[in-house]
Amino acid sequence: MTQLEPLPKPEPQGPAAADQPVPAKKPLAEAINEAKEAYRKLEKTREILHSAGSIEVGQTPHEIVAETRAYQLLHYRPMVANTAKVPILTVYALINKSYVLDLQPDKSWIRSLLSQGFDIYLINWKDPSVVDKYVSFDDYVNAYIDDCVDFVLKKTKVDQLTLHGYCMGATMSTMYTSLHQKKVRNLALIAPVVDTSKDSTVIGNMARNMDVEKMLATIGNLPPEQLYACYAALKPFKQGLAKYFNLVQNIDNDSFVGNFLRIEKWLYDTPAIAGSAFKQWIDDIYKDNLLVKNEFMLGDKLVDLSKITVPLLNIVADEDHLVSPECSVPLNDAVSSTDKRLMRFHTGHVGLIASSYSQNNVLPKVGQWLKARSS
Amino acid sequence: MTDNNQFNVEQFNKMLSVWAESMKLPTIGPMYAFSKEFGEFASEFINLGKVMSDMKTSLDQYWSMVNATYAKASKETAEKAPKQFLTKDDFEAYRKVMIETFENAFTDLFSSAEFSKVYGKVFSNQLDMSKGFQNIVERNFKALNLPTRSEMDEILKDLHDLKRRVRDLEKKEAA
Repeated sequence: MTQLEPLPKPEPQGPAAADQPVPAKKPLAEAINEAKEAYRKLEKTREILHSAGSIEVGQTPHEIVAETRAYQLLHYRPMVANTAKVPILTVYALINKSYVLDLQPDKSWIRSLLSQGFDIYLINWKDPSVVDKYVSFDDYVNAYIDDCVDFVLKKTKVDQLTLHGYCMGATMSTMYTSLHQKKVRNLALIAPVVDTSKDSTVIGNMARNMDVEKMLATIGNLPPEQLYACYAALKPFKQGLAKYFNLVQNIDNDSFVGNFLRIEKWLYDTPAIAGSAFKQWIDDIYKDNLLVKNEFMLGDKLVDLSKITVPLLNIVADEDHLVSPECSVPLNDAVSSTDKRLMRFHTGHVGLIASSYSQNNVLPKVGQWLKARSS
Repeated sequence: MTDNNQFNVEQFNKMLSVWAESMKLPTIGPMYAFSKEFGEFASEFINLGKVMSDMKTSLDQYWSMVNATYAKASKETAEKAPKQFLTKDDFEAYRKVMIETFENAFTDLFSSAEFSKVYGKVFSNQLDMSKGFQNIVERNFKALNLPTRSEMDEILKDLHDLKRRVRDLEKKEAA
């Protein structure tokens, strides 16, 4: 019978009772609001990510002064009336695109050097197609870079320039300098791959057992999909997962989203790599470490690093997960230059060139070094 | 029974030899090349089967390593993560622990010599498979008297060398 007894009527609640906290209801309301907010952010993220490809990059004014099937040579509009006498030719890598050096105005490596009074040229490599599988480093260094160097020297009416390379472009600049030193006044490098026996990166480890000879014979160029597979192995959860959580959390911060999308666009803008060049890169440089042994051949010419005597600036990042600093640093011992400088920064491979840190800490020092050697 | 068997074998051999003789006939057009290379076609297919079997072995090794790492990371995450999920912070702490643990476990895997070897084998097997298909397609192309990839490749190599020689000669002349 007790079960059938009606429940006591709730006492009427006055205004004072309404002010009392209701522990069960408030967290639920909060949870619903949080879920709504999370859904809104996710929806906004989805929409924004779809527009990533159309975001503007490489906005610093420039003109294409020379173009072939292999490259475009860009000349940036000077930002000061009297630029330094020695022009700078920037050599970008064969991986991804050169606009990472001019990603956005407030984080542009190129723009910063322009504002410091330098005359800047940049080699923007074009995507190799299936017919380019036999293009090797000999072509890139002794033909394409050499043609660009001659063009710049002729246009600026000087005998020497500063060769400025990033990553694989830094390695190519080093090769070029060892063979054509009379045209090079300074060699300024960012994260060059030199002594691969000391490389401790995931990419270096994966490259050690790749049969690139077979790849060249079977599919020709290295397909972008293979590069994506390598990228996926680099910081797989921090890059592959955590960064998207951060994006969702910061989706209302326009500046954060802009930075994110530009880097994202660059990461997935990956061309194939010419087969013969890639074979040399993996077999000769990564597996056999021929460059630092002074046994690397470009066509019939030997690349001997000890022949380099020009002023050298070697810029490395302590947290570089693509090119270990230990792999870049030995260059300073391998060359015969008396004027050589190693700059180490506490950042990563991309942070070194396209970040606020780079603008505030790296570029002022680089500009200072270059300025002292560009008159 | 023995006589019957003997008869069957004889009949079978006779049939095969008739077929083999037919294949040797100078047929007209693409079939001539096809009949000539029939044996090699068969061996390409057998080889492809072997390549696929090797690839399966390598992929099994690959996934076994990935799965073992996943299991190890999951176990570590469970040990380190908060034991109850009452607040938003608990979920946040779980997410951080999970990402850190998985990141470390998989970076260790991808940096290991064992993974490098297995990855190299998978890469090589995939190329072998592509090559096997290419060989079969090339035989068909040859039978149809069409240019093959290998022949195009030779032309590409010649073109590349010629372009480079022209560039170097022009440069020499201009100097």
